[in-house]
Amino acid sequence: MVYSEECAIIFRVKGILEFSCQLDNPNGSQSQSIISKSFQGLRSKVSSKSIVFTVCNSPILIWPNTGFRSSMESLTEASSCGDILQYIESDDGGSKKSIKKKDKKRSGPTVVNMKLLFEVTDPAGNEAPSLIQMSTQQHFVKMPLHLDCVVSVTTDESLTFVCTELVETLRKQLADMEEVVLRYRKGSSFLVPQPFHFRLPEPAGLTTVIYPAGVPDSQLQAIREDLHRKFELPSDRPYLRRANAFHFPDAAYKDGYLRNPHVHLNPPNIEDAKLYLVQGVYSYHHYMQDRVDDDGWGCAYRSLQTICSWFQQQGYVETAVPTHTQIQQALVDVGDKEPRFVGSRQWIGSIEVQAVLNQLLGVTSKILFVSQGSELATKGRELANHFQTEGTPIMIGGGVLAHTILGVAWSENTGQIRFLILDPHYTGGEDLQTITDKGWCGWKGPEFWDQNAYYNLCLPQRPKTI
Amino acid sequence: MGRSYIVDEAVAKYLGGLQADPGSCSTGLLAGQSSPQREFVVLAMQTPHRESEGQLKSSRGGSQLDDIDVEWVTEHARQVSRMLPGGLCILGLFLVTPPELSKDAQNTLKRLIFAMDKCIGKGRLWELTEEDVTDRVTLHICSKTKKTVCKTLDVKDPKSSAKPADWKYQTDVSSSWPMLTCSVEVDLPIPLTGSSDNTDKCMKDGLRRWAKQIEAGNCLISGRQALDDSELISGQKKNIKTTHRQTLPARILVSDEQPELDERCSALVQLCSGSIRVRGVVHCRAYIHNNKPKAKHAAQAIKRDIINTVSSRVEMFLEDLLISEGSHKGLCTGQQALPRRVFAPMPFSGLSVCDYMFPDESTADVAERLKEMLDWETPEEDIDISLEKNQLFSPELEIIDGHDSSKHVISEEVENSKIHKAPHYYTGVAVAATIALLATATSLLYFSE
Repeated sequence: MVYSEECAIIFRVKGILEFSCQLDNPNGSQSQSIISKSFQGLRSKVSSKSIVFTVCNSPILIWPNTGFRSSMESLTEASSCGDILQYIESDDGGSKKSIKKKDKKRSGPTVVNMKLLFEVTDPAGNEAPSLIQMSTQQHFVKMPLHLDCVVSVTTDESLTFVCTELVETLRKQLADMEEVVLRYRKGSSFLVPQPFHFRLPEPAGLTTVIYPAGVPDSQLQAIREDLHRKFELPSDRPYLRRANAFHFPDAAYKDGYLRNPHVHLNPPNIEDAKLYLVQGVYSYHHYMQDRVDDDGWGCAYRSLQTICSWFQQQGYVETAVPTHTQIQQALVDVGDKEPRFVGSRQWIGSIEVQAVLNQLLGVTSKILFVSQGSELATKGRELANHFQTEGTPIMIGGGVLAHTILGVAWSENTGQIRFLILDPHYTGGEDLQTITDKGWCGWKGPEFWDQNAYYNLCLPQRPKTI
Repeated sequence: MGRSYIVDEAVAKYLGGLQADPGSCSTGLLAGQSSPQREFVVLAMQTPHRESEGQLKSSRGGSQLDDIDVEWVTEHARQVSRMLPGGLCILGLFLVTPPELSKDAQNTLKRLIFAMDKCIGKGRLWELTEEDVTDRVTLHICSKTKKTVCKTLDVKDPKSSAKPADWKYQTDVSSSWPMLTCSVEVDLPIPLTGSSDNTDKCMKDGLRRWAKQIEAGNCLISGRQALDDSELISGQKKNIKTTHRQTLPARILVSDEQPELDERCSALVQLCSGSIRVRGVVHCRAYIHNNKPKAKHAAQAIKRDIINTVSSRVEMFLEDLLISEGSHKGLCTGQQALPRRVFAPMPFSGLSVCDYMFPDESTADVAERLKEMLDWETPEEDIDISLEKNQLFSPELEIIDGHDSSKHVISEEVENSKIHKAPHYYTGVAVAATIALLATATSLLYFSE
């Protein structure tokens, strides 16, 4: 394993702190200062000697506020972060190593997960306990604050620096949470503040934003506009919706679908060609998934699902990826199909895909028609433009098959072109190795298309919104 | 093949030295530590004598065994279990009968065991695990022949019959048992909802929530995490017969997990008529046998001691209030001291027992209680009261929630702190009976489901 200076490590500490306070009169003028005082108390707690970081999957414990005490003799103030990695057991033991070798550059930064704990022993005093009673009527407010802080460093950074930074970041997060709590409070109704991490373009980098729980993205437009201005982000595409939250490299996707299998491929070797690829994240949908046997008829449905998953994960919609039945129902609802279409095994084409995207997601699409498969080789510029501006996956139907185009490798000079294809006809399990080795996700040449058949391409357009 | 009981020689001496009136019966407790493989009995004490009532009844001519006051025996067990540090508990009972009553002894023992277990378990804030042993030992001693019959009863199964058990004497059973210690800071705000009758339930709920946090916490013993089946003391120091007793410092790390609140989008707001805060530092101790003890059992022992010491004190305080003022409505605004924990050397072994001292009590009171409960004379100078300091009553109570601090007048607090010298454990007949009854009633109130 080669360590380089650019090898970044992300330290992530998560923990729960209970916020509680007692308000005589929730609508009174004093309540704000009482709430602030409670938050101040929590900030002091985080700076106190009794906080402890445990490093997950390792025996390491660190007391960051006591001149760096750790449970491991070999880790001292002078240790660098890289030193900590050897003590951490990776979750899946051996198998991770084999992928690591191949994908070192693609697997991204290493994440060190830590948990925030408090020591209740070793107290400052030894005064025996008392009962202190207040007998006035009060509103007793209680909610758990789920703290989640990240610090990105290089491997040679000292561990002491990281711990100090983490404590500072925790304090700042509490201050941000206080602001959100106060802003959304109505009397004695408090919304729980939740942290979200976003990977923004440099120089902002990995940034944390606090959103109030229960308030949908649609109502947080003004906040996002402010932040887009602050971080100088383009104002026509979402960066800060909850769905845009950074996916940590070590976290598995709970739904089990593969994400962006194409990143594991080597690009085709064409002289002078540039790559124009799908932007962001999509899920690979294909035959036989979700216990639906659509072998032989569902390919366009699966391509549509892949496209819907893209819009969901880029934050444009909050609805789940539609099932075959829901897709069919949508077509009935727009009058495109008879009611008996629902539950059938009828194929759909690009036009239907366009209609469903409009009906269920409010997304418009452009249709590109080629009268002969051989003509596709000449569409390099259009496709390149599409991936550059919209960056959405393309559904292509023709002959008797439907596929998804995820990108092109195109040379403006020579006109040579290759198509990055995601094939929905795959019937196996979510095995990345098989999918990439056997070309279920792979680069294909112009001969891939039926040279004589006509094709329709559905090019979904990004809504201009943040 | 039944359970194995390793019993300290000193217990044998005590049992042998018991004086009973010929023809009468006596009972007592057996205490020690249980482990999955075997149990260790390190302490025995007879039930304190109850004046006159018993003797009056015997003239009726009914069986002596029927005269055994089950409530009195279980109350004694309940008080004694508060005095045992972590890792130690009441393992069972002994019963001394004249030869003619020996055949009925087992029935009596069964009644006593089940009643006692129910009584002790009521106040518990932590859950028993699968590994906890549910067998209790019964020892029947014939007062004439001194013959002993040892059996066990499974308190999980009321229909089960007594099984024979192995009762073996050994010297110095606990002399090298390691002792875990720690001081734990408690700061627990508990909202009081509903009417003032609900105070007990609110306190119980609040304490239970805190107890769960402690149970779920990480425990470090001598700097190492005590997680799993690994041995507590690995490597050297496996010599069982050393006289040196190790003291192992423990640390507890907790997090504010609250699974019941996790899914909410908004804060939980309760309208309360008031609130109670339990605040201070408790000193905790636990012992673990040294027969290849597992780290996680040691961790469990100290955690349970932490939970028990806080809940015992609150329980005692409320009982005291009940006796002296007749109801819980007497809980007044301000700061009131909970009893302090003091330690004394246990009879025979080098282990310690504990007791709780109210602010207006002295070591003389403690010594008196130890004599009555444990049947053991403890010189006052041996009682260690230095581990927990007396509470300080701060003239300005923190303005926690914008109250007018002038409401909390100093003199009011000082008045409240002078808790009546409640005759906790005196054996004056009337008072003793009242206490037993009231205490049982309190437990029922406090902890009934």
